[in-house]
Parts: sequence; structure tokens; C-alpha cells
Amino acid sequence: MSEETALPWPRVVDPSAGSPADLMARVARGDADAFAQLYDLMAPRVYGLIRRVLRNPALSEEVTQEVMVEVWRTATRYDADRGSLASWILTMAHRRAIDRVRSEQSSADREQAVAAASSITEYDEVAEAVTTNLEVEQVRHCLSSLTELQRESVTLAYYGGYSYREVAELLDAKLATIKARMRDGLIRLRDCLGVTGR
Amino acid sequence: MTTPEVHALTGPYVLNALPEDERTGFEAHLADCQSCSAEVAELREATTKLGTAVAADPPPALKARVLAEIASTRQLPPLVKPEAPAPVPIRRKFNRRSFFSLAAAGLAVAGAGGIAIDQYRENSRTRQENEQLAALLAESDAQTVRGNLKSGGQATVVMSPAKDRAIVLLHNLPKLPADKTYQVWLMDKSRDMHSVGLATTDQSKLIQGGIVGKIALGVTVENKPGATEPTLTTATVIPMA
Repeated sequence: MSEETALPWPRVVDPSAGSPADLMARVARGDADAFAQLYDLMAPRVYGLIRRVLRNPALSEEVTQEVMVEVWRTATRYDADRGSLASWILTMAHRRAIDRVRSEQSSADREQAVAAASSITEYDEVAEAVTTNLEVEQVRHCLSSLTELQRESVTLAYYGGYSYREVAELLDAKLATIKARMRDGLIRLRDCLGVTGR
Repeated sequence: MTTPEVHALTGPYVLNALPEDERTGFEAHLADCQSCSAEVAELREATTKLGTAVAADPPPALKARVLAEIASTRQLPPLVKPEAPAPVPIRRKFNRRSFFSLAAAGLAVAGAGGIAIDQYRENSRTRQENEQLAALLAESDAQTVRGNLKSGGQATVVMSPAKDRAIVLLHNLPKLPADKTYQVWLMDKSRDMHSVGLATTDQSKLIQGGIVGKIALGVTVENKPGATEPTLTTATVIPMA
């Protein structure tokens, strides 16, 4: 059906450094200096997200290392037509983090349960700590525009690392409902984040 | 073909909330479902922002370890593609008469690169947008075209063919009903329209690549989640020449 390439956010480019895509092209050709720049650009996001999901700093560091090395190893396979570089890398990071959650369920169980109970509060705390960051404010604002069920479904899965079945259990809702709320919550988030408000 | 049930899995899929077996099944479906993969790409950009919002500095020592490891890690070879097809080949042959003026304004420039729109924001987004705009305007071949949209509001395109880059600015767009969206297109010289994104309100949008060889910008009003072919009755076409 539709083939739109959407979410029309302008890429942010440091004119002195070349675009992330240019950087990535150099990385794909084996340029270690370019990779070091890419690391500076992406590692905080990778580490932040992984730590958000896994919580354990040492483990998060280890998984961040795996992901960044994987970015290097598979750089030639990145296709800018299929999404932004940040999206490609964070998708990889999130997936790795989730794999760890699922494979190390036993050690993580307790922490995760605690995290789940307070996911929204914690989100606010995290956001509070960096209120100078416009993007964080925007994300927080947009999250608050979701219904509670949408927001919980999205954040428990994304930040909490839960499967939709686990989310349904935690929120005491039907599986189909949770699947639908994850989707319409993300759609609303997408639309909200796509608004400049100017 | 696409049942609502399967389609709803785009959400859990991008959140990595599907169990392994369902994920594998959905990925098989994705390969055949273009609207699903388009939606996955879009929703992924939304989750990317969720991820970016919790960025935290890793311990400084990590960088040295990663750099040491990549020094001894061989990279995968690139996938060798046989003659890559155009990235977003939305074919729509336009009636020659209705685009008479465009034909007159047509630019014959060969070679269209991929249209890559990067969709994440950084800190100080507005400042950076302004810098991008300033940088683009400073290009010696920078051109600006603008037009009033049939649906109200204005669209302005600032472009640099040499940089193969353009910024589209949408101003004063009337608010649409909840089920409608603005859709932005680029028309190539054979009058095929290529969707470059959706907009629900005023915004600026940077398009990198795929500018060369495009002769016009189109803006239409479509039903969500966007259309594969522009709805001509709502189309405003602004020649980029």
C-alpha cells in the first residue's frame, strides 16, 4: 500500500564534521578515526538506552561495547534509505539489551519488577535531571499526550524490556488490547514528535 | 492481505516486545508488506527518540576498549547489489497537459540518488535548523522557490543541486482533520512522484540526496497514513527551477 518515507525530521548536521551518513560511509571503508567520531556521537545514546533497560552499569557497559563493535563490523550493511543512522544503531542496542534481559531473566527479574512498578515516576526523574535537553522535554511532553494505557504499554516494553505478554499481565489487559495500544501509542508519539509547534 | 491483527504487530515489533517465534513470523510478513515496513520505519524513528531521551555518558574508559577491539575486528564485506532499483519508485504518470508549465520548467539533470531523510532531533534543534538553512543559502548555487498551497499556507524550497540537498519549509498550514495528513513529494523528470514524508503542521524538513533530477515539489492532502499516489485534486506543484 503506502510507501511513504515519513517522520520528516531534519537531520542535524555538524557542518565541520560532515553528516552522520558521511561519517558512516567512512566507517564502512574502515576509517577508525571516523569511527571514533561516530562513537562520540552515538555511544551516549547507546549506553543510556541499554542502561535504562538493563540497569546494571557493568553489564550495560559490556553490552554497549558489543553494540559499538557490531556497528563497526556491520557498517557496510547500513542502508540510509531504510532509516536514520541513530535509528539503526539504537534498534541494534535495544535488541541486544532485550536479548540480555531475556537470557539473564533470573538475575534481572527482581530489578525489573521494581522498575516496572515505577516506570513513569522514574521516567520523570530521568527527564528532570536533564531539563536543558529540548529533546527530552519534547519526548516527555509527547509521552504525556498518550493515554495512560498507551504510555504504560510503550514504556514498559521499551524502557522496561517486557514482552507484550508480560506487559498485558502487568497492566491486567487483554493481549490484543496491549498490542493495539503499543501501536497506536507509538503512532501518536510519532505524530506528536513530528510537530515543531512553530 | 494485511489483516488488522498482523498489522497491529508493528507496535510490539519495534518495541522488541514480541517473543522470538512471533518476531520471526512477523519479519516474514514484513518482507511482503510494504505498508508494514514503512510503518515500522516510522515507528522506529519514534522509539529512537525515546532512546535518545535517556542518553547518558558512558564511562570514559569504554571508548579506549571499543577502539582497541575494533582495531582487531574485521568488517563484513558490503552486500553487492545487482543494479539497485530506485529507492521509492512510486509511479504515477502525470497528465501532460496538467503539468504543461512544469514541462516548460523541466530540468534535465541525470542521476537521482537515494532520498535519505534522517529523522532524529538533537539538542538545540532549532538553532541547528537555522544553521542548516544558513549553510544551504550560502551555497553558490542555492535557489529558493515558493508557492501558495491549494490547501492553504505556503511551501518554500531552498535547494543546492551541487550539494544534492534541500530544505522544505511549510508555513501557515491549516490544521487538518485528525484522519488527514499533508504529504510532500518530489517529482522527477518523467513526472513520477516520490513521497518524501508526511507533515501535520508547519515544519522544516531537510532532504539529503535525490534532489538532483527532481523538477518539482508537490504537496497533497491525503488520508492517514499517507498515500502511495498523490491525490491530484489536492495537489499543489511548485516547479523547482
